[in-house]
Amino acid sequence: MTPDMIYGAAGIAVFGIGLVGALCAQDRLRRVLALKLCSVGAGFLLLVGAWREPPGTPDPVPHALVITGIVVMVSATAVALALIRRLHSLEAEDER
Amino acid sequence: MIDPLVIFDLLLALGIVALAVAALATRESFAMIVVFIVFGLVSALAWVRLSAPDVALAEAAIGTGVTGALLLKTLHHLRCATGQPGQNATQAQISAPPVPVGVTLANAAFCGLITLGLAVAFLGAPAAGPGFEGLVAQAMPQSGVEHPVTAVLLNFRAYDTLMEVVVLLAAVIAVWQIERGLSDAPAPVMGEVWQGFARLALPAIVVVGTYLLWVGAEAPGGAFQGGAVLAAVGLLLLLTRAYVPQPAHRGIARGAFVLGTAAFALVALLVASGGRVAFEYPLAHAKTLILLIEGMVTLSIAVTLAALFHGREPMALKHEGKDDT
Amino acid sequence: MSVDLSPVMLSIFLPLFGAIVAFMLPRAAGAIGLATLALTTGAVIALARDVLINGAAILPLGGWGAPLGIDLRADGLSVAMLGLSCAVGLLVSLSALSSLRGPEDARQRQYFWPLWLLLLTGMNGVYLSTDIFNLYVMIEVIALAAVGLTVLSGTTAAVRAGLEYMYASILGALLFLMGVGFIYLQLGRLDFAGLAEAEPTGALIAAIALMFVGLALKTALFPLHFWLPAAHANASAPASALLSGLVVKAALYIVLRLAQHMPFPSETFLTLVGVMGAGAVIWGSIQALRAERLKLLVAWSTVAQIGLIFVAFARAGEQGLSESWKAAALLILAHGVAKAAMFLAAGRIKDEIGHDVIRDLDRAPIRPTLAQFTFALAAISLIGLPPSLGFIGKWALMEGAMAAGYWHWVGVTMAGTLLSVAYFSRVFAGFLRFDRVRAPVGEHQGWALADAAPLTLAMMAIALGLMAAPLLGFLEIGYALGEAK
Repeated sequence: MTPDMIYGAAGIAVFGIGLVGALCAQDRLRRVLALKLCSVGAGFLLLVGAWREPPGTPDPVPHALVITGIVVMVSATAVALALIRRLHSLEAEDER
Repeated sequence: MIDPLVIFDLLLALGIVALAVAALATRESFAMIVVFIVFGLVSALAWVRLSAPDVALAEAAIGTGVTGALLLKTLHHLRCATGQPGQNATQAQISAPPVPVGVTLANAAFCGLITLGLAVAFLGAPAAGPGFEGLVAQAMPQSGVEHPVTAVLLNFRAYDTLMEVVVLLAAVIAVWQIERGLSDAPAPVMGEVWQGFARLALPAIVVVGTYLLWVGAEAPGGAFQGGAVLAAVGLLLLLTRAYVPQPAHRGIARGAFVLGTAAFALVALLVASGGRVAFEYPLAHAKTLILLIEGMVTLSIAVTLAALFHGREPMALKHEGKDDT
Repeated sequence: MSVDLSPVMLSIFLPLFGAIVAFMLPRAAGAIGLATLALTTGAVIALARDVLINGAAILPLGGWGAPLGIDLRADGLSVAMLGLSCAVGLLVSLSALSSLRGPEDARQRQYFWPLWLLLLTGMNGVYLSTDIFNLYVMIEVIALAAVGLTVLSGTTAAVRAGLEYMYASILGALLFLMGVGFIYLQLGRLDFAGLAEAEPTGALIAAIALMFVGLALKTALFPLHFWLPAAHANASAPASALLSGLVVKAALYIVLRLAQHMPFPSETFLTLVGVMGAGAVIWGSIQALRAERLKLLVAWSTVAQIGLIFVAFARAGEQGLSESWKAAALLILAHGVAKAAMFLAAGRIKDEIGHDVIRDLDRAPIRPTLAQFTFALAAISLIGLPPSLGFIGKWALMEGAMAAGYWHWVGVTMAGTLLSVAYFSRVFAGFLRFDRVRAPVGEHQGWALADAAPLTLAMMAIALGLMAAPLLGFLEIGYALGEAK
């Protein structure tokens, strides 16, 4: 058993858990969080692909890709959360 | 004899999966976000084990730190807007009719099948298969920098990185647009939510900052990590009201948002002369140009992340806006 | 020192700089936006000329070349898509100038232009990219800008639809990213050329499935279409035209490209794609028949038409795939132009009459005749009557399906056509019946300058059908990777 196998399986599990949350959760914040879990799972997969047996150095390209993915995800999260805040305010106004 | 590190890896992996489940299963929203932050930090630790310290840093600072702060801010807003501080306000959504349990179960089973399929596919894929390392090693002397990840981000695949900064710019424009004219937003006060966050985040910020300083000596990199650390400073300035964004600062803020994208894109275009194509830095100036781009991008990222956290564009009727670190 | 500005770079960077300047100078955003669109269109025309003369153009960014670096590549299909986004974009921009004119639209106007120009950057980037990770970043640029445009009107319905759209978009992009991960795991490279030689292993099949589902979510293929009708129906008219005419096409284009370069898993998979498309045709049409509001009807017809494009894609099975993409590409172009025209016309009708309830269209004392005429012209192309481009696309679809003996796809296409006649007739009936008008139909002259842009688009949708042969020839330029210089 090598770290890539262990963390690869963990990453896929995390992706699956996020998928369940994204499809089944009712709470809006929870769905955003579930999507973030999916992105961490995808990050695991890329990093596992980059990993090499210790004397070897890992492939830097997937590392750069995952960093890009993290920044993209935080941008998307920020927009989703802004929508949630706005929608909440609008719904509160409509109720009044 | 089993390698103790394998046991550590197994435990860590189990912990990560358990935390992911816990984050989604936790009923109370605040606890959910805290569990998520722990999940993110533990994942970052796993990524260090996968010899990816740069990524681990970015995940801890941006993926977990900034995302966690954004989630907590939103939760705070939802609770204040409903007027029941302390209550689980996010449960008070009226819109969606309850989904039948059967549908949820079917969805979950479906996801389980997908995950199983992916796991099978993963086990069938070649371990430590082909990669870019040979190509990268070959091209490193022409890249102008010493750190491979920086070389990929700012030279070999600089176009991706430029577009990533564009995504960030699109996000801040969209957020300003979405929250325009949003009135009676609760003033951020250092309530339980914030103190909880500050306790969690401050040590992380200090650790990350120190590591970045140390790594900066041998690896001229970390525009994103550095930007996130600066953004954390901006966040604390906003939270403690040491800086209150003014409408008059909007011009500067806009300038800071676009600075990274504009500088990056201009350099990329302007180097295309004398037989070179776009993004092809002349070797003699590659290092200078990359450092210039990194500096501008770091500044933009810091200000943009702080602005994403703050949300609304500062309008004449109200204060608020963003920070110009 | 003279800078070499290749038109390939300009078609991505001009909108990017335009967005930056429009964001910095909100007061002049409209003028900047229009100028940017005009310049970008110029760059695309120059690129089209280049491709016509020299064949496909390749630009290895940074001079590295794939697989280490990222190559941009412009062939006939890419340039046709660029042409679609610029031509439709330019006319929608003209229309936006007039529809976002009032003082109450000041803030909408201020954000419309930077978001729309970033959207154009993302779309043009997709059409020129040859790297699957780069495609992921580009679809995220598109997603964020598109969601920003969806909620521009700021109503509760629009924001709710925008949030659903955002969830679907993020999930779609993450599924795509997971697919990228599996491809890297198996092949160790991310460029199209590297995919071309691959054998279909388990990891690659997983990657194809993930990417396809992600893109189907983004392009709203039945049954993953749930977010589209509300998002497209509640956006303001220019935004709807951009979303329905252009944005969904970016994901469709990626599907075409992946099918070109990836080993296709099996005939069963392709049949499944066709069945999903057929489901979209039937379900979208039924919902369009039931829709109460004009814009909702148009949005549901988008679901049906997207389904038809997937049917075109699957029309002749695996063997026919090397030809089927052309039928799909023609339908993409036809739908892009006609649907943008239709949404703009629907917006004009709503502006003039004050509502868009289909049942009450014939009670309005005001008759926006030219907008109604535009709507009808666009419907001709969407239904697929000759000589429109929509007709040519459907013809190509059925011809291929018949040649391969796949009569069921012919049946689906015919059924879709009949249903589209039925649901558009609901609207025409409202245009033509005068007997229920209570107030005198008078003062209104029936047309306005704002009708010019949608009318031009609708006429383009018809006229392009007459140019189908040269268009098909152009699409094929440089399609095979090997032909590149």
